[in-house]
Amino acid sequence: MPHQLETRVLLEGAEDPRLATLQGYKDIVGGYATLERAYKEMEQDEVLKALEDSGLRGRGGAGFSMGKKASFLPRGDMPKYLCCNADESEPGAFKDRELMQRNPHQLVEGIAIAALASGAGHAFIFIRGEYDSQADVLDAAVAEAYGAGYLGKDILGTGRDLELVVHRGAGAYICGEETALLDALEGKRGNPRLKPPFPAVQGLYGGPTLINNVETLSNVPRIVAKGAEWFRQYGTEQSPGTKVVSISGGVRRPGNYEISLGLPTRDLIYDLAGGPLPGRRVKAIYPGGSSSPVLTAAEAMDLPYSFEAMAGAGSMLGSGSVIVADDTVSIPHMALRTARFYHHESCGKCAPCREGTNWTVKMLERVVRGEATPMDLDIISSVQENIMGNCLCVLGDSMAMPVSAMVRKFRGEFEQVMAEAAEGIDPHVVVDAPAETLGAAT
Amino acid sequence: MSPEKREVTLTIDGREVTATEGEMLHDAAREGDVEIPVFCYEPKLGAPVGACRMCLVEIEGIPKLQTSCSTPVRDGMVVHTRTEQVKTAQNAVIEFLLVNHPLDCPVCDKGGECPLQDNTMGWGPGKSRVIDEKRHFEKPIELSPLVAIDRERCILCYRCVRFSQEVSEDSQLQLLDRGDRTYVGTFDDRPYVSPFQGNITDICPVGALTNYTYRFRARPWDIEQAGSVCTLCPSQCNVSFTVRDEKVKRVITRDNEDVDDGWICDKGRYGFEMFNAAERVTEPRTKGGGKVSYEDAIAKAASGLKARLGKVAAIVGDASNEEGFLIQEILRQGLHSSSIDSRPAGGPGIDTILELANPARQAKVADIDDADAILVLGTDPMGSSPILDLRIRKAIRRNGARLVVATERPTALDGGAEAIARYAPGQASYFVGALAAAVGGGVENIATPVAETLREAGKVVVVWGERIGASATNELLGLADALNVSTTEGAGLLEIPETANARGLREAGVLPDAGPGLGALALQGRGTEEIRQALIDGDLDGVILVGVDPLRDFGDTAAWTKALDAASFVVAFSTFATATAGKADVLFPLETHAEKDGTVTHPDGRLQRVRPAAGRPGDIRPGWQTLANLSLALGHDTGVTSQPTAFAALTNAVPFYASITDEAIGGRGIRWQDTASASSLPGFERQPEQHDPTASDRPGLKDEADPSGGEIHAPGADATASAPDAGAGSPDTQRERASGESVPVAGAPATLALGTYRDIWSGPITELNPPLKFLKPTQHLELSPADAHRLGLASGDKVRVTQGDHSLEATALIKERTPEGVCFLAEAITGANANGLLNGHQVRVQIEKLAEVTA
Amino acid sequence: MSPVDGAGASNPNLPVDRSVTEGRTPSTDPQQIPELQEVDCPPELRERIEMLMARYPEKNSASIPALWAVQERYGWCTPEGIRQAAAVMRVTPAYLESVASFYDLLHTTRVGEHRIEVCTNISCWMRGGDELLDAFRAAAAGEDVFVTGFECLGACDIAPMAAIDQRYFGPLLPGEAQTAIDQLLSGDAVLPEKSLEKRPLAGDVQVPGASGDGSAA
Ligand SMILES: Cc1cc2nc3c(=O)[nH]c(=O)nc-3n(C[C@H](O)[C@H](O)[C@H](O)COP(=O)(O)O)c2cc1C
Ligand code: SF4
Ligand code: FES
Repeated sequence: MPHQLETRVLLEGAEDPRLATLQGYKDIVGGYATLERAYKEMEQDEVLKALEDSGLRGRGGAGFSMGKKASFLPRGDMPKYLCCNADESEPGAFKDRELMQRNPHQLVEGIAIAALASGAGHAFIFIRGEYDSQADVLDAAVAEAYGAGYLGKDILGTGRDLELVVHRGAGAYICGEETALLDALEGKRGNPRLKPPFPAVQGLYGGPTLINNVETLSNVPRIVAKGAEWFRQYGTEQSPGTKVVSISGGVRRPGNYEISLGLPTRDLIYDLAGGPLPGRRVKAIYPGGSSSPVLTAAEAMDLPYSFEAMAGAGSMLGSGSVIVADDTVSIPHMALRTARFYHHESCGKCAPCREGTNWTVKMLERVVRGEATPMDLDIISSVQENIMGNCLCVLGDSMAMPVSAMVRKFRGEFEQVMAEAAEGIDPHVVVDAPAETLGAAT
Repeated sequence: MSPEKREVTLTIDGREVTATEGEMLHDAAREGDVEIPVFCYEPKLGAPVGACRMCLVEIEGIPKLQTSCSTPVRDGMVVHTRTEQVKTAQNAVIEFLLVNHPLDCPVCDKGGECPLQDNTMGWGPGKSRVIDEKRHFEKPIELSPLVAIDRERCILCYRCVRFSQEVSEDSQLQLLDRGDRTYVGTFDDRPYVSPFQGNITDICPVGALTNYTYRFRARPWDIEQAGSVCTLCPSQCNVSFTVRDEKVKRVITRDNEDVDDGWICDKGRYGFEMFNAAERVTEPRTKGGGKVSYEDAIAKAASGLKARLGKVAAIVGDASNEEGFLIQEILRQGLHSSSIDSRPAGGPGIDTILELANPARQAKVADIDDADAILVLGTDPMGSSPILDLRIRKAIRRNGARLVVATERPTALDGGAEAIARYAPGQASYFVGALAAAVGGGVENIATPVAETLREAGKVVVVWGERIGASATNELLGLADALNVSTTEGAGLLEIPETANARGLREAGVLPDAGPGLGALALQGRGTEEIRQALIDGDLDGVILVGVDPLRDFGDTAAWTKALDAASFVVAFSTFATATAGKADVLFPLETHAEKDGTVTHPDGRLQRVRPAAGRPGDIRPGWQTLANLSLALGHDTGVTSQPTAFAALTNAVPFYASITDEAIGGRGIRWQDTASASSLPGFERQPEQHDPTASDRPGLKDEADPSGGEIHAPGADATASAPDAGAGSPDTQRERASGESVPVAGAPATLALGTYRDIWSGPITELNPPLKFLKPTQHLELSPADAHRLGLASGDKVRVTQGDHSLEATALIKERTPEGVCFLAEAITGANANGLLNGHQVRVQIEKLAEVTA
Repeated sequence: MSPVDGAGASNPNLPVDRSVTEGRTPSTDPQQIPELQEVDCPPELRERIEMLMARYPEKNSASIPALWAVQERYGWCTPEGIRQAAAVMRVTPAYLESVASFYDLLHTTRVGEHRIEVCTNISCWMRGGDELLDAFRAAAAGEDVFVTGFECLGACDIAPMAAIDQRYFGPLLPGEAQTAIDQLLSGDAVLPEKSLEKRPLAGDVQVPGASGDGSAA
């Protein structure tokens, strides 16, 4: 039985593996009824209106209104495209994996209905190459949906067409950035493009393109079926709906939990995720994936888990992934891990990100080796400032925000670690028996 | 095509600036005298990429700084380029770029002319906070035998790879790896091979890409730049010579949008190394190689020529307008002969030349950019005028021009073509006639598939090769009319002639049937091929060869050898000691375009000035001077005593050059069609005559017909294109025609129709030029997979190719796009020159596989 | 005299003798799109790539899938394999190599028969990812198994984890690395009880001792 604080909507019936099949999806949650109704009975504007009224915000990071974005696509006969962003590569995020693995048809149905809303005739699921087994699940689901007439030419005899292709990436976080995703999908290196033009105007193959996250699109069938009112009963005024939250790091029960947005962060971490490991205490969290500025435990615990509360605290909800750092974690080392990730993943196209990430890594390496001075901390902060706002896309900012937050909030610890390291003390406390406290697969 | 762009007004740093709508902010600022630093921005490379972030500016109303290179101006925009925020960002970008830059300026070739140095001085923080280790690469390494790459210095501005992808479209130069590990490289570390690669050294804003020919040869303060024109091919690109100690050390571009778009090919860039080759003729010589003074040489030449009054001919190739003018003076006035030509294989009569020269039919280079459709006819620009290859690609890529290619041999442009037609060697005239009929009269014939694309298009530019021959050139007028080029603004014909200054020489009177200014002559002389025959027959006795090498470059080598041997007196002007020069009784040196002073005329009518940049090696004197003195010695005073007087003599003699002054030519040249004297072209006032393409009395195929009396078109070669999916473009955009009734007759002898072509790298450019030596072409016999199969040949097999008594050895090369029934050999390849197999008619060759030699 | 006389004279790093570098020049042919008959592409690979190209409105979209197909066939993106794909797709080999080199999962140098990616990103690092990587490296020594540290694989819930031949396993103890490699090499199912696919939803797992009293801060 799920915990009472969980609100399983997208994950409804997900404990049953049959949900991943077309028949199971129909039997367990009445799947594809909405697609049928939308394709047979609804006009584009009607679907759009339902989405706009629901206030559904993008679950991929930026939190932009999904309905509004879909409405930006120009009308007319030009080829239009829909891309489902299933690149999920931000450290701490693994919710799309769960949704695709357990409920692929919900996503397929959501894509089909969103295509109707946006006028797209060709849709793609861009899934990160590492998610090989989830891509297999999607391939099977898409094949079933084609077989049942939910995709392809003349869907359910309505004269409407939609092609859906599962496109596997090949290992590059930057491809999650929507314009880099488009380049990658066009067969190029995944470099972000200049904006404007925005994808809604000029995206894939130069045509208007709607790009949404897996979770965003998975929400679509129920919103269209049950209406905006129903959707808004969950969540807060500005963050309606439920959210699948990935929790990991120093907690007893890491995993995905679907909650009604606005749940206190404390409940999320302590009740759902089981709290810190025995004998440990929470020191800091990334509230919304590794790109979000870290919050200290004191700052975070009493905040409602919502877009607006996290923004108000100077951080962000992002993709909705909480990483918990407990008191054994050395923050400078964590900053280094974070920076290394962005350094590794920077596409290299623009100078501030390419050089800023590598310089930051080099400086943080000196910090943890004890070869830095407090002045270097100032330089690190200044370099983060120089990155922010000056890059082609926000990957650079995604490193600069958490790193500068860490230096600012834990400066004392940085100085201490630097001093200790200079004397040969390793401040990084290794967790000795990681698996013990975790539930093994059964 | 493009509707008039609106003017907008914006404010930059408090200054009001007017700009054209759609223009990038950076460019608008520059016009308003506000400099915004850039690295990656280079409009010649197409759309901005916004990668380096050097050009960030503040725009009121937008919270984040914006890249001015990629932000189009809007009316009322208020922009700041010097605020604290902008300065901080500029400092930051410079600092970031230097994090991994080795700062090895003291040993860097770019030092002193380096945008990274300049921007660091102008916009950088002035001090460094970086103490960390920089990234390392092996340095410098060979990107190609011509270009060295130092990856540590590279700032990843994308310019060079964009050039490779978007300008030369070879897609060989790529970025590899990711993030700060990214580097510029090629597939599998193989050398970058592209006839335009030198351009990347011009556009690299740091010292990452340098020329092997220039490395460590000079510092910017040792050198001078001298602007001139490259006359190694008819493109006549504008170049600037880097000169140190009177010697050319480097050739770089001198952007002229009307001519070259700011690019040059590697021939033009690296060709200068042959100026000092040991084979260079540096003083007058007599037969056998004896050096003589100019005075003696002129006296000897004059007496030899005078003794053959009326029986002397002249063939001119590489010469300036003034030189051409003086030669025809010598011949017509001094030697009472009019057997003079400037065309390797003769050409159409003066009537056709005048019709073609009519400004209403003339396209200029820039017209290619805005053409709706481009027809490339009987030429491969890559081999004959490389810079036009880039220009045509640009029109397709940026403006969606539709390309039609109609040639004997597959061209480098095929990949971008919407329709392709292949005609058999020697059948250009037949094909052009058919095409005119298909476009104009809607007649169904072999040209119909390509005609459709052209008929639908509005503005058509026809880029045609002189190689199509005289009778096809006559047919061209009908095609031009069918395409309405004379009544369509921006449409027209653009010739790619066989020699660099062909147009200038013709207009200066180096034609058998017209004098200076294309004035028709009562007394008609002989053209090139008739001169050859007359020498053999003894009707002519002496010949003056100026900048031509018939034994290498003209068809039918055996006949030319015979002709030159038969001539009892040969005066040659030559840059190098060629086999032809060896036949000369008196040999004069020629200046190169780095040494010469004179004018040339671009195929679109643009007069350009070749200016001396380097010292003349040895005892070389100006061409005009030698010719004027020779004329004097022959008793005809041309009045030419200097380059200006030579130019004046030319413009006096050519009425439609009359109002052109040296000043008007300036650095960019001027098209005579755009001057007041254009109307002095004979027949100018006439409306272009309409030529009925379907009329039956059009010039026949006589001069090119198959002497064997065979079919008009060779087996298989009437087909448009060849195998399916053969083109590099997507198959569905290429209209293809299956290869008709071309089934080969069983048991027929293994012969194929021979087509020949000019390889861009054949001749002295690779043979006498050490840096380009590695490109020296060897003879390949190109043939289709089906013919290769029939002949039992595989790529790489050695074959003997025979025509009559003549044969050569070549390596078989199977090309999917080669039409069945035809094979191709390159001209002017030393030791295996296809010109030796030609006899002025359509030829068929026998192919025999040579036994493998075990090494 | 050499045209590049003096080239490199003042820099000891430079190849001064041009004849040396000329010898290194394998060919003067541009590395352009190879013709199919030159590359000897296995028919299955050709058909697969053609099928992939047909799935997209523009053929170049098939570049990553085509490179996956090459990698599947040859174990990595070999130069020959890239040329074959390039010939089928009508793009330059350089283009495909450039694409391949951008992505972490496509290999342009030979990797082993099996591939193991061990996550060393934040969440896994906190739970012993570095130690797990060391254990895998030690266990794979001398075997045809490619082990590499990797950025977040999207499975922080099973930290520390590893992807073994594209399948996820975790949470793993360092001691399990040897077992996994033994199973892999002998063809047995790898750590069946640690397979992600078999895991229930986190909320459905019963964890002993997870109090959930929400007061320990
Ligand atoms: C560096 C970077 C990585 C991103 N990665 C992802 C991702 O993996 N998945 C995702 O859905 N959005 C990602 N995004 C956000 C997308 O750009 C985009 O905003 C999102 O897919 C839009 O979908 P949504 O409106 O449904 O959230 C990323 C953004 C950046 C800048
Ligand atoms: S080599 Fe030069 S042109 Fe090419 S990316 Fe680097 S800096 Fe730019
Ligand atoms: S010049 Fe504008 S971003 Fe490089």
